[in-house]
Amino acid sequence: MSARRSHLPLPLLLMLAWRNIWRHRRRTLITLSSIGIGFGLAVLFIGIGDGSHNSMIRNAIKLGEGHLTVQPDGYQAAPANHKYLAEGQTLQTRLSALGIAGSVEPRISLQVLASTANNSVGAALEGMGAEDDPRVEMLRPQLVEGEWLEAGDHRGILIGDGMASKLKARVGSKVVLMAGKEGGDSQAHLGRVRGVFDSRVDELDDYLVLSDLRFARYFLEGEGADTASEPVTRFAIFLDDPDSMAHWKARIDTALGDNGAVVLDWQEMMPQLVQFIILDDAGNYVFLTLILIMVVFGILNTVLMSVLERTREFGLLRALGISRHHLLWLVFCESLLLSFLAVVIGWLVGGSTHLWFSHHGIDFSALMSGGTQMMGTFMDPVVYTELSRERVVQLTTIVFAATLASGIYPAIKAARVTPVEALRT
Amino acid sequence: MALLTLEGIGKRYRQGEIEVQALQGVDLQVAEGDFAALVGPSGSGKTTLLNIIGGLDAPTQGSVRLNGIELTAMGEAELSDFRLFQLGFIFQAYNLVPVLSALENVELVMVLQGQHRHERRERAEHYLELVGLKAVMHRRPSALSGGQQQRVAVARALAAGPRLVLADEPTANLDSENAFALLDIMHRLSHEEKTTFIFSTHDTRVMERAERIITLRDGRLASDERHERHSA
Repeated sequence: MSARRSHLPLPLLLMLAWRNIWRHRRRTLITLSSIGIGFGLAVLFIGIGDGSHNSMIRNAIKLGEGHLTVQPDGYQAAPANHKYLAEGQTLQTRLSALGIAGSVEPRISLQVLASTANNSVGAALEGMGAEDDPRVEMLRPQLVEGEWLEAGDHRGILIGDGMASKLKARVGSKVVLMAGKEGGDSQAHLGRVRGVFDSRVDELDDYLVLSDLRFARYFLEGEGADTASEPVTRFAIFLDDPDSMAHWKARIDTALGDNGAVVLDWQEMMPQLVQFIILDDAGNYVFLTLILIMVVFGILNTVLMSVLERTREFGLLRALGISRHHLLWLVFCESLLLSFLAVVIGWLVGGSTHLWFSHHGIDFSALMSGGTQMMGTFMDPVVYTELSRERVVQLTTIVFAATLASGIYPAIKAARVTPVEALRT
Repeated sequence: MALLTLEGIGKRYRQGEIEVQALQGVDLQVAEGDFAALVGPSGSGKTTLLNIIGGLDAPTQGSVRLNGIELTAMGEAELSDFRLFQLGFIFQAYNLVPVLSALENVELVMVLQGQHRHERRERAEHYLELVGLKAVMHRRPSALSGGQQQRVAVARALAAGPRLVLADEPTANLDSENAFALLDIMHRLSHEEKTTFIFSTHDTRVMERAERIITLRDGRLASDERHERHSA
């Protein structure tokens, strides 16, 4: 006998599959619509989730220590006032020489006790330098009383409204800041309240004291630092392109060498925020899973119905010489086309919804009357949906894979058709 | 040498708790160019025998040789290819793929055989012309009458150049006029193309068109007669 084999060319396979999925136009359209709407909703919800998370991250980075932070090795695990970068000027020069696309802000962070005649509270003193420090940009508009610090103001401090209330301090009040010093003694410096801010983050409003670098440096001097070397406790690095963070982290790490200083990214600086986002994302994934189940059963229903209705036709095709694996491919190809259409429609629905809300935003302020702060940062009440390229690839791949997987069983069922039995139906 | 040789064909199957002996000891030889009717009452084993000849079903005993090739020794994939290249099928109804036009249906088997586009298109159009359907070749089956659909099936069966065409009650759903017309086409083409036809029927009017009548009764070969074909 001749060893000739059957041959099902791809164009015929695709043509048959395409025409087969449109046999029951209404059923296919209903299936595609439900998948499209479901997928669109998933895209929207994920976009809102990512938008709100990114908003929190951006605010946390601006209010906090930047995309990257250079600080003394071991400071993160056990912060202490005696851990500082003594050669601040040298490090600043070295960082500037790297040509980082962004800004490098020197900071002095110290644990202090803030006291007035009325009360005492633990506080974090943050000495800052430049006027264009992103933290200044964030907090300056939140000033509710008084004025912002003037450059070189070596006595002025800014406190949050929470601390002002606890200390019963207001603009012009004197606040004594106390901390330990070299040798175990204590040191105290007098600050005068120039202004009160309301950052919308309780942790900051209750705990943060802002000052000029010069004022904060008095405490480092007490710790034995040489002020001529412009000591700091850290450099906060704000990158123009957040995606370049890994690149700059590696370069800074190399530049620092074995100098007692380390570079950390914001995830390492704020692990709680990262954990919160992971947990919140888990909720989104549950929603996505529900959508996927809907998608899978939608496709499964359509393709399986189509297979069961065509048992006799499969018998005919088998009788004519189509092999089992050709039948399997035919039905699988139908699922493939349905999946493709589902993803396209899903992206048309979800993508256009995302585009709209990424420009116009969704105002959640009515739902967030209790505030939008969490994990030491806050979310802007108007959320602009965001979808990264990775998210697009991830969503497309997951939905495409799930819909394809749902076509496996019908395809196997079609391939198992026995011609004689099928032709009897 | 016979094109088809059946020796001691038996077929037993279970229907629930009952064991049915559909065929028993069927010996048959069919020569090239035969235009044979397989007749007998319902349940006599006609369709089962056609299925076994076509490699769609396996006998529980006996041997089936087509052109010297033993079908019972073949695996499923081999049988599938064998059907594609050696056999043509015409069934009682629902013969065509609904999503393909008449022309595409006729071309389908040739595409699976790997024939070149121009060659298969030419052959498909030629056979559709022979069965009188060239004018409607772009219509889908749903736009064709039952008789037209059966003629498309004949064109498909022949266009692929099979050695043997098996037709299971091809006229069962047709009125007399269409049934005779279909048989005339099959008969004419069997002579022109030197193709062997075996078709099952229990319609006495159709039997008259056959040149050979093989009668089955209770799964056994009851008679095998050759006679002159009556024209319409």
